Amino acid sequence: MATIQEQTADTSSPSSQPNNPLSRKLNKILDTRLDNDKEMLEALKALSSFFSENTLRNRRNLRGDVERRSLAINEDFIQAFQQVKEQLDSVYEDVKGMSECCQDMTTRLKAAKEQTHDLINQTTQLQTESQRLQMRAQVADAFLAKFQLKPEEVKILRGTRDGALHPDFFKALARVKQIHTDCKVLLRTNQQTAGLEIMESMALHQESAYERLYRWTQNECRALSNESPDISSQLCLGLEALQDRPVLFRYSLDEFGTARRTAIVRGFIDALTRGGPGGTPRPIELHSHDPLRYVGDMLAWLHQATASEKEHLQTLLKKCNNCSNEGTIQDILGHITEGVCRPFKVRVEQVVVAEPGPVLLYKLTNLLKFYEHTIGQLLSKDASLLGTLDEAHVLSSKMFFNSLNIHAARLLDKVELPPAELGPTGPLNQTLQLLKDVLSSHDSSVVSIDDRQKDFSKIMSSVIDPLIQMCSLSASKLTTVDMATYMINCLYTMQSALALFEYTDQRLEMLQAQIDAHIDTLISEQASHILHRVGLASTYGIVQQHQPKQGPLSSIPGMEPGTLKGAIAKFDSFLSTPDGYILQQCSLLQSTTVRETTRKRSMELIVSAYEELYTAITNPQNGYKDPQNLMPRTPEQVKHLLI
Amino acid sequence: MAAGPYNYSYIFKYIIIGDMGVGKSCLLHQFTEKKFMADCPHTIGVEFGTRIIEVSGQKIKLQIWDTAGQERFRAVTRSYYRGAAGALMVYDITRRSTYNHLSSWLTDARNLTNPNTVIFLIGNKSDLEAQRDVTYEEAKQFADENGLMFLECSAKTGENVEEAFLDTARKIYQNIQDGSLDLNAAESGVQHKPSAPRNAINTDQPANKEGCAC
Repeated sequence: MATIQEQTADTSSPSSQPNNPLSRKLNKILDTRLDNDKEMLEALKALSSFFSENTLRNRRNLRGDVERRSLAINEDFIQAFQQVKEQLDSVYEDVKGMSECCQDMTTRLKAAKEQTHDLINQTTQLQTESQRLQMRAQVADAFLAKFQLKPEEVKILRGTRDGALHPDFFKALARVKQIHTDCKVLLRTNQQTAGLEIMESMALHQESAYERLYRWTQNECRALSNESPDISSQLCLGLEALQDRPVLFRYSLDEFGTARRTAIVRGFIDALTRGGPGGTPRPIELHSHDPLRYVGDMLAWLHQATASEKEHLQTLLKKCNNCSNEGTIQDILGHITEGVCRPFKVRVEQVVVAEPGPVLLYKLTNLLKFYEHTIGQLLSKDASLLGTLDEAHVLSSKMFFNSLNIHAARLLDKVELPPAELGPTGPLNQTLQLLKDVLSSHDSSVVSIDDRQKDFSKIMSSVIDPLIQMCSLSASKLTTVDMATYMINCLYTMQSALALFEYTDQRLEMLQAQIDAHIDTLISEQASHILHRVGLASTYGIVQQHQPKQGPLSSIPGMEPGTLKGAIAKFDSFLSTPDGYILQQCSLLQSTTVRETTRKRSMELIVSAYEELYTAITNPQNGYKDPQNLMPRTPEQVKHLLI
Repeated sequence: MAAGPYNYSYIFKYIIIGDMGVGKSCLLHQFTEKKFMADCPHTIGVEFGTRIIEVSGQKIKLQIWDTAGQERFRAVTRSYYRGAAGALMVYDITRRSTYNHLSSWLTDARNLTNPNTVIFLIGNKSDLEAQRDVTYEEAKQFADENGLMFLECSAKTGENVEEAFLDTARKIYQNIQDGSLDLNAAESGVQHKPSAPRNAINTDQPANKEGCAC
């Protein structure tokens, strides 16, 4: 450094002060501000490191030394740089190698890339494909899950060899059905083939499952033949499922019906012949001597059995929500109860045909009718049990009227003569008693009012008409008065018997009319009897027929004042004791009312006859002298006396 | 599978008897419908109702036959005693005459049912305390003397109605457990439901039920 500075100083001096080089040098040195010149200081410091001894030699050789040093340093520098260069060269070599290597690799990579390009493409394609396929697999799985049965489900459907149903059978069956329905959606899309195939296979599964279910149901139903069937919920489910196959459903129900039918026939026979535990309650047949109780017990048993069977059916079909359920139940119930018809019918017929008498027959008829109605509430109208009940009822009713008619025919066959007191005869009283028994047993019956009314009129015409006929027949040989009295007595007895009952108004009216007719006869007989007794009969006849052109009454034969006077005297004695002139028959009238009416009305007749006579006699045109003396009593007086 | 309301182990047959107007039909209606029927018409012949109850964990179906109290139906109703497991004999606490007739009803019940039939005496209309004509003590004594179960009930308020029906069922069930009621015999008024053989009852019965109830 120092060298450089010196050189610089050397070169600058000649230009600035050419005059005195030394002075210039000195000046220059002096001008030099050493402390400001860091380079100078550095140079000096470096110089001081090797310029250790200030000798002459040293001073002379300073320049050389410096130069030498500089040379050495440069050499060192060169050497160092040589190394650096060499290293750089080696680095360069390395880098070059690396570069080549890279180049090579790049080339190779490029080649490789070119080579693998297809592969990658392929891979990508494959990957996409694989994704798609996976998706499809999922879809297919889902499809299968939705449209195919699981193996275990198939197994459940196929069932075991002993025919028992797996508890999940119905779930599997429901799935088959669901799949089958879902296939319809498939058919609407473009998956028709699959849809059809699946549908077909499901249909097959369904068919075999239904067949198995049907077999099982049939067996279960067949087993329900004990008194109280155990209807399992599985069986109910089975029937619910079978609803889709109406024929099988119906067959199963029929099977059930047949089993129950057998059961209730057995139950009925047991109740009839074996009775309860230890014989209490006693077997129904033990009461066969008491027809009403016998038939009543049977009917009550049938009623209860029908009600129970209906419940069993309702239990069985509780899950079936078919709209025609009620109809189905009634149908099957009709079938179930059909079995007991025969044993029941035979027994009832035996009872009825044994002719237990009209009253009992009538009670039986009503009982049967009552149960026909009661059991009819549970069954449909065409059930054969109802038919049997109806037949029994009709038979019993026929037998009843039959026995009434026989009774009536016997009455007419053997007509008794009226007794001396002209009262009702024994047969009449007996028949009326029978009628009373029949009609009063109606009270304890249970039949609707309409039916009762219809029955009543029929019963009455089959009893009362022949009775009246019988009375008329037996009265035919009597005198008018006797006949009237007898008829009144008989009709009155009938009337008072009927008056106790309902729905007899028409009959009573008719009887009353007949009685009235006979009373009229009796009254006129009574009146004419009195007139005859007092000798006024012919007089009255003449007065009634007298015409003014025949001349005054007093001139007509038989109307002479003398004759009249005698008759009036007799009439007077009648007035004093009118009871002595009453017909003997009238006192035989059993009804006091009728007796009183007859008396009163015949007296009225007498009074009016007297009045007519009186008017005629007191009429001056008739030429009686002193009519007051002839007929001293005015009609009012007579009326007052008699009525 | 859920046990539906129809699944029961026994059917008990009941009969309700007693004079006209004591409230037999109302008791039945209260029991089956849990409602009071204010103007109940006269029963014609017989009617019936059912309800499923539970006794000692067993479901029991009661089949209850309600008879007409009117005398004219007596011949008809008598036929229904046959095969009743329980007889509810009802009188009206406000009408002594209905109480006085009890002995005739009881005779009927004893003669026409089987010896194991449980007879339960019910004094109905206990809500009409003000019009009471028969004391509780008197009726209780009658019941005790005749070995009857006894409660006073009200079909109107429903008081004790449930108890009367259930107590009867409990007693019948107890008779079955004791073996005094023979289910094998016909017309015991009890029907046993499980499909297991009929003589295999009681203890093994619940197991059977589980076995086949799925």
